[in-house]
Amino acid sequence: MEYVSDFAIETWGLTKKFGQVQALNDLDLKVPRHSIFGFLGPNGAGKTTTMKILLGLTEPTSGRGEIFGHDIVSESLAIRERIGYLPQHPRFIEYMTARENLIFTANFYFRGPQAKIFERCDEMLELVGLTGKADRPIKGFSGGEKQRLGIALAQINDPDLLILDEPASSLDPIGRQAVLDIMAGLRERSTIFYSTHILDDVQRVSDTVAILNQGKVVASGPIGQILNGKDGLVYQVGVKGPTERLRERLNELSWVKNTTVKKQKDSNLWQISVSDEAAAETKLLRHILDDRRLTVTEFSRKEYELEEAFMNIVKGDSDGHQS
Amino acid sequence: MGTSLDLERIKERKALRGFANLFRKEKQAWWGTRRWWINALLWSGMLGGLVLVMLYILPPLAAATGDPNVAEAGGQAAFGLLMGQQVYFELGTLAVAIGVIVLFQDMIVNERQSGLTEWLLAKPVARRSYVLSKLCASLLVVLAVLIALPALFTYMFLSVRAGSFFPPGAFLGGLGVMVVNSVFYLTMTLMLGTLFTSRPPLLGIALGAALGGNLLASFIEPLLYVTPWMLPKVASLVAGGQPVPDGMLWPPLIASVLWSSLFILIALMKFERTEF
Repeated sequence: MEYVSDFAIETWGLTKKFGQVQALNDLDLKVPRHSIFGFLGPNGAGKTTTMKILLGLTEPTSGRGEIFGHDIVSESLAIRERIGYLPQHPRFIEYMTARENLIFTANFYFRGPQAKIFERCDEMLELVGLTGKADRPIKGFSGGEKQRLGIALAQINDPDLLILDEPASSLDPIGRQAVLDIMAGLRERSTIFYSTHILDDVQRVSDTVAILNQGKVVASGPIGQILNGKDGLVYQVGVKGPTERLRERLNELSWVKNTTVKKQKDSNLWQISVSDEAAAETKLLRHILDDRRLTVTEFSRKEYELEEAFMNIVKGDSDGHQS
Repeated sequence: MGTSLDLERIKERKALRGFANLFRKEKQAWWGTRRWWINALLWSGMLGGLVLVMLYILPPLAAATGDPNVAEAGGQAAFGLLMGQQVYFELGTLAVAIGVIVLFQDMIVNERQSGLTEWLLAKPVARRSYVLSKLCASLLVVLAVLIALPALFTYMFLSVRAGSFFPPGAFLGGLGVMVVNSVFYLTMTLMLGTLFTSRPPLLGIALGAALGGNLLASFIEPLLYVTPWMLPKVASLVAGGQPVPDGMLWPPLIASVLWSSLFILIALMKFERTEF
């Protein structure tokens, strides 16, 4: 019976030690189906190790995981039938052309007929824009072309899950954009689980992310949620006038969680963390302006850049580990 | 899957899943590139050339220097034949063993270092298929390019010099010994490729065994009976139709086959547990 779950990947307490080095520490991960899931983390956080465990290339020290309901250790072959994988540095059979590499890869998944396999390879070459170079030796390919070929190879079996390790990290902006466009185009067909440290790319294509630090997931969820940072929703209000009582008045509101103030030239910039978006949008400004001595010079919801959120989360977690 | 492709998917979870495809790839690495004919020319030229020197150049030189072995053999032609088959089977067996080590030292190491192995094993492939496809494809190359083709030329040269067909049974017997010796070093190289991730220790151990084995056995004679180190001499005796002393034929042959089987087993077990 076909396994049906909301998640393509689920892990519970996945741990990996290399000697004394703890590469993964009690990793719990849930990757929703048909998501483009960005797996973020600083170098050495354990991203590649996680991917290798999911692919059956290395075994966890403890914990377990499932992909489409199959155990990642005991049912690895069944999992690999449904996965496409692009390693960080894609490798090819150098003496084969791009088309031959695709045919070779397709033969791991399909029995035939051969004409249909060739057709499938042509489709993939078209998908990644390499039709014109299909019969050229791989040696002459640029980095971007190799990366696109790598994606075509990963996609040849029409996988339910694509695992991409740093798919755009070594590319120039045009190459990166091409790869991101391909990934976005595959969203309908597959779940995409990819690691990266290019936060701009994540913000452009991902809908869900997990941030890994020191082998542990320190934040996970829809990207909007991550962008809100650990303080949640924050409104920025520029206020002029006597504000001695403002903090006290704001704290009277049950949905205000926290307030901070930054002194500016002519006014104070208040950052007000709230738990209720609707209440904040309708009542916060009115509540401040109830004090007729105050003037509001700006009012906006704070938009975090992913980089800022990432730095906050990772730094906060690292500080926590040290203290 | 994501879309319904009009293709028949492979679903069997066979013990050798992916073997046929990997074996095709390994064969193509040799037979689909110029490697095979370059090596065919090299090995046939080298071994065949050496035999020709023994058949036609050495005898008159030996006769001119009054070498008693020429007369003892029954003349220059007989001396040449004796030297030709001896050099081919003794030196050739050792040369092929070294060739096997050098040519196949990177059959696993290279792909591991480049990350290709990791990529291949992320496909629905049984790990033993990976190891066995490499073994089978390289064995094919050893048999065809390093042994059969040079042997064909050698047999032809020996027969032409003899004026009649060189005894085929004895020649094939000698070749059989050469094959056993080559398989020993091939499986050893394969196993070392699964145990080490770089070439120096692999080459050191394998070449040390091939070149230093006899030296070691000269101190510990029983080693000759449980290793392939006596096989070049045995190959020459068998091919020359000469009697092989008791205990010199079967013990090293059987031991070499057992060692080869053990090497394959270790390679499979080690590779199955290797983390990438």
